[in-house]
Amino acid sequence: MENYNEIKINFEKFINTFKTDDNDLEFRKKSFANFISKGFPISRDENWKYSPLVQDLKKFSHLNNKKTGINALPNALKENFDHYSIIFVDGVLILTDINDTGLVIKKNNSFLKSVKKAGENPILNLNNAFADQGYLIELSSNTILTRPIVIYNYFSKNFLSSFCSSKNFILLNEKSNVVVYEKTIYDSSIEYLITSNTEIFLAKGSKLKKYDLNCNNKHSTIFNFVKANLDENSELEYFTFSENINSCRDESIINLNGKNCFANVNAIQLLRNNCNHEIKLQINHNEEHTKSSQFVKSALYDSANAIFQGKIFVDSKAQKTDGYQLSRALLLSDNVKFFSKPELEIYADDVKCSHGSSSGSVDEESIFYLRSRGISKEDAKMMMINGFLGEVIEKITEDKFKNIFFNKLDHYSNHD
Amino acid sequence: MIDIKNLRASVDDKEILKGLNLKIGKGEVHAIMGPNGSGKSTLSYVLSGKEGYNVEGEIKFNKKNLLELNAEERAREGIFLAFQYPIEIPGVFTNNFLRTSLNSVRKANGKAELNAIDFLKIVKEKAKELNIGEEMLSRPLNVGFSGGEKKRNEILQMSLLEPSFVVMDETDSGLDIDALKIVSNGVNSLRDPERSFLIITHYQRLLNYIKPDFVHVLSDGKIVKTGDWKLALDLEDEGYGQFIN
Repeated sequence: MENYNEIKINFEKFINTFKTDDNDLEFRKKSFANFISKGFPISRDENWKYSPLVQDLKKFSHLNNKKTGINALPNALKENFDHYSIIFVDGVLILTDINDTGLVIKKNNSFLKSVKKAGENPILNLNNAFADQGYLIELSSNTILTRPIVIYNYFSKNFLSSFCSSKNFILLNEKSNVVVYEKTIYDSSIEYLITSNTEIFLAKGSKLKKYDLNCNNKHSTIFNFVKANLDENSELEYFTFSENINSCRDESIINLNGKNCFANVNAIQLLRNNCNHEIKLQINHNEEHTKSSQFVKSALYDSANAIFQGKIFVDSKAQKTDGYQLSRALLLSDNVKFFSKPELEIYADDVKCSHGSSSGSVDEESIFYLRSRGISKEDAKMMMINGFLGEVIEKITEDKFKNIFFNKLDHYSNHD
Repeated sequence: MIDIKNLRASVDDKEILKGLNLKIGKGEVHAIMGPNGSGKSTLSYVLSGKEGYNVEGEIKFNKKNLLELNAEERAREGIFLAFQYPIEIPGVFTNNFLRTSLNSVRKANGKAELNAIDFLKIVKEKAKELNIGEEMLSRPLNVGFSGGEKKRNEILQMSLLEPSFVVMDETDSGLDIDALKIVSNGVNSLRDPERSFLIITHYQRLLNYIKPDFVHVLSDGKIVKTGDWKLALDLEDEGYGQFIN
C-alpha cells in the first residue's frame, strides 16, 4: 500500500494555514484519517469496480492544492442572457455576495453545516479534508426566481495546481423555485484532480432544475458528488451533459424523503478518443408515494469508455413508489466499452419499478431509409446519433436550456 | 428511362433475382405482381441501392449505370422507393428530416437549398393535399404513426422530392379503403409524362385506383409474363399457381 507521505505533508501544511474553528479542524482531520486508512479506491471495491478513477488516481500521490494567481473569467465565456453568476477561476471562488429579494448567494465559509459523519467514500473524505472553496445558494420561502443562476467553473491556461476541491450548498425553502446552470470550461493543459461536493436541500413544495454542462476536458480527473434531500411535494430535475471528458465520475445520492416528491434525472455521455465517464446514481425512496425517473444515453466513439451504475432503493415503508430507469448506449466503434449495472433493491411490496439497459450500434435499416431520401451516409448517421441523444434533451422542461443543449449537440456534430 | 438487363441478386449464396429483364419508358406505369418470395421486395431494394446484396447484370437509368451509384446518389438522380414498412426513427423530427432530404437532393442538382420558412410553406401545402396534419410533421419520423399515416408520409416525401422514377413496394398493404384512396389520389396527381412508376403489389386492388400501362408477373426471380392491366384481373381470378413450378 502506498504511504501517501506527500499528501500527508500537504494536508499538514494546509490545515496549519487554513483559518477555521476547532470543530471544523477536527472534522477535516477525521476525514483525512479516514482517507489515509483506506487510501485511494481500488477495483476490488464493488462501488469502484468499473470506475476510470481507480487507475487515474494513482497519478495524484503528490497532490498539491496550492492556489494560482488571480485570473478572471473571459467575457466571451459569459452567457448572454440575464442571470446571476457564481464564478470559480482555477478552483478559486470569485463572488460578490448577492442578496436579492428572497435570494442569498454567498461564499460558503461555514463548512461545518455539512454532514460531519465520517464517510465511507474515500474521495469524499479527501474532499471533506481539503475543500476550502464553495458557494451557498439559499432561497427563502415562496421565492420564484425568473433569472437563472449560472455557475462557471473555469480552469485557465495559468492553472498550476494539481488539486482543487469545493463544497457547495443549495438550499431551497418551502415553495421556492430556481434554475441552476453549471458549466465547466477547461483551458488548462496540466494533469489535475478536481473534487466537488454539492449538497441540495429541497423543502416542501420547492423545485430545483439543475443543468450541468461538462465538456472538452483532456487532462483532468474529476469527481463530482451530489447529494440531494427532497421533502414533500418537492421536485428535482437534474440533467448532465458530459462530452469528451478525460476521466470523470459523477456520483449522486438522491433521498426522496417526503410524500409526492419527484426526482427526474437525465444524462448524456458523448465520448470520443480515450475519454472515460462514469455515472453512479443512487435514488433512495424513503417515503411512500415518491417518484423517480432515470434516463441515460451514451454515444461512444473511438476507444471511449462509459459506465452507468444506477440503483433504485425502495425502503419497506415506501409503498406506492414509482421508479423508472433506462440506459441506452450506442457503440460506434469496435474499441469502445460500456459497462452498465442497473440495480433495484426493493423492500416494499406495492411498488412500480422498471429498469432497462441496452447497447448496440446504429440501426442499418434506418440508415438506408435516410440514404434512400438523398441524405449522405455520414449525415444519416449523424442524424441518428443526434436523434438518439436528443431524446434526453427533450426531457428538459426549460425551453431556453433545451435550446442551449440542442445547439451544443448540433455544434458538436458539425465540428468533429 | 430505365433498362434492366439480366439482373441477378443474391444474399449469402441464395439467389433471389435470377436474370430479370425489364424496360420502363418515360411516363409509363408498370406493375409487378407475384407470389410471396418471388423477389419483389429484393427488386425494389436492388433498384434503390440497399447494401448487402450481390448484384450482377445491368441497370441503365437515363444512360447512367445505376449499379455504380450508392443509395443517396440514386435518390439524388431521381429514384424514389416508397417503403412497404417505413422505418420509425425516434428523436429525428419529421420536418427536420424532410428538409434535410429535400435540400440534399436540391444541392446535388445544383439548386439552392431552402431555408426553414420557404420549406415550411411548401411542405404545409403538400401535406394538406395528403390530409397530413401539421402536428404529424412535428413528431419524430414515423414514430407512433398509424399504417395509413406512414404511407401518406411516404407519398409526401415523393411529392417533395419530385423523383423521375418511383418504385412503390406494396404501398397498399395495411391500408383501409379511405387511406388507399388518399394514397392513390396522391400518386395519380404525381403522374407525369416525365415520371415513371414501378408498382409492386400482391393484389389487383391498388391497380383499380392507379391504372398501369403494363403488368408483369414475377416468379422465382424472373418476369414470366407481361401484359396490359387486364392481366391483373386474370391473376385475381386464377391466382399465381400457374406460374409456380
